[in-house]
Amino acid sequence: MITISGLSKSYGKNRGIDDISFTIPEGEIVGFLGPNGAGKSTTMNIITGYLTADRGDVEIAGIDMLRNPIEAKKRIGYLPEQPPLYHTMTVDAYLDFVYELKGATSPSQKDHISGICEIIGLKDVYKRVIGHLSKGYKQRVGLAQALIGDPDVLILDEPTVGLDPRQIVEIRNVIKDMGKKRTIILSTHILPEVSAICERVLVIANGSIVADDKPENLAGTAIGTRSMMVRIAGPSGSVRTILDNLEGIKSANSLGKKEPDSCDFLIESNRGVDIRRPLFNALSKEGYPLLMLRPQSDSLEDIFLKLTEEEN
Amino acid sequence: MLAVFKRDFNAYFTSPIGYVYLGSYILVLNLMFYLNNALGSSSSVGGLFSFMLLVMMFITPILTMRVFSEDFKQKTDQLLYTTPVRMHSIVIGKFLSSLAVFMCLLLLTLLWPFTISLFGTNNMAEIVGNYVGILCIGAAYISMGIFISALTENQVIAAVGSLCLFIALYILEIVASMFFATGVLPEFIMRIFLFISIYGRYGEITRGLLSLDTIVFFISVCAVFIFLTTRALERRRQR
Repeated sequence: MITISGLSKSYGKNRGIDDISFTIPEGEIVGFLGPNGAGKSTTMNIITGYLTADRGDVEIAGIDMLRNPIEAKKRIGYLPEQPPLYHTMTVDAYLDFVYELKGATSPSQKDHISGICEIIGLKDVYKRVIGHLSKGYKQRVGLAQALIGDPDVLILDEPTVGLDPRQIVEIRNVIKDMGKKRTIILSTHILPEVSAICERVLVIANGSIVADDKPENLAGTAIGTRSMMVRIAGPSGSVRTILDNLEGIKSANSLGKKEPDSCDFLIESNRGVDIRRPLFNALSKEGYPLLMLRPQSDSLEDIFLKLTEEEN
Repeated sequence: MLAVFKRDFNAYFTSPIGYVYLGSYILVLNLMFYLNNALGSSSSVGGLFSFMLLVMMFITPILTMRVFSEDFKQKTDQLLYTTPVRMHSIVIGKFLSSLAVFMCLLLLTLLWPFTISLFGTNNMAEIVGNYVGILCIGAAYISMGIFISALTENQVIAAVGSLCLFIALYILEIVASMFFATGVLPEFIMRIFLFISIYGRYGEITRGLLSLDTIVFFISVCAVFIFLTTRALERRRQR
């Protein structure tokens, strides 16, 4: 559905993105991960035709964005990083405007728009001026705008930013639902979001793609087993001896005592070693119950650091 | 194009800009009408339109400063460029919406010939000539103001930039003739200056010389600036 090949763009002397290529088949939800300035938004802006690339091609459903932008754009719904809203307009006037702008042709404009508002949860603010809405509602209006015209491809740049936790879950479900019949690219900083929605993850760093995998694989290789915090019921000294003698542990740092008759340690295992089972067995042999085990590297930053570290 | 036109036209009146523009303009002009025609017992509108031309130089930037600058600022250009609308359709839509507001102003001024007709007789040729002339020059100004606003996301810079351009055009003819008279500039440059002089052309129209080439000239000015605006926007996409 989306084919990107050899995409490059630089801003003056700064490299924006460099030779990015990937293909996304129809109906897949792909997560775009990367820190600020990695090139996520630039890539999305080029895919949607907002910016032009220095080199490379974008094809949407087999249509070249450069040669036939109008046809390609008809198939895309885009929510940029900052929702493109006219603050003096009311929500309904704005959505009507977008409908006309996109030249959408559904049997009934009113039903089409009110259907979208129903899904996104905009019914309550339908007649209000956009500038007076909260950030969460503005984000929703932005999302509603992207859905108008029922596009085959949705490009969403941080769609859940500014929403409260409940709205985040709601919107994620909406996106998941939409993904059943659409191809979706969404960018995010939040790792759980990727595992909750996406079937595939592209990690982008310094303008290049450094990983392209399923979220569970990515999480398995980069996180989970390498660094974890443990709480063990037992004297600190004996526990340390056990940890020090356990094979596969790179380091064990005491974090002190947070609960009576226990000790906390931050353990880092060697690469490719799942330390959890040997750790449990060793402790139970000595009769020290494992009270808590928490993987530490659950942030994007850690995955990211590791992926770039491996690159080097 | 129609969607952009409708939105932009409505935007003038959902924000204070449209009212400030029409209000300040009509206030000043009606005062002038009162002084010139009512107190002066004159049925000629020529002086009034010349004055209008001068005011237009200062007030048109209010109309055009936000046209693209505002879109850049609130990132709504991302919406416009990623929907299946051609760039020149967006520019023309916005141009026509500003022109429509200007035409609203002209509609309001129709009160003058009406008032004159109550107390005297209108010189129809003069009135038609002045209206056509002011419409032509207004359209040219608007196309230039829109071009300037497509260069910056700062509305103040857009307004000041347009004002400078208008003033430069205003003094162009005077400066050119001064240089010519002192022999600094050769004649053919003088001719070029006169050719592009908007005010020279305007003068012809108000004198009743409504020639086809003058109309074509003003339409061309609009077309050139609409084209330049489109190019400026395309360049922004390539940054």
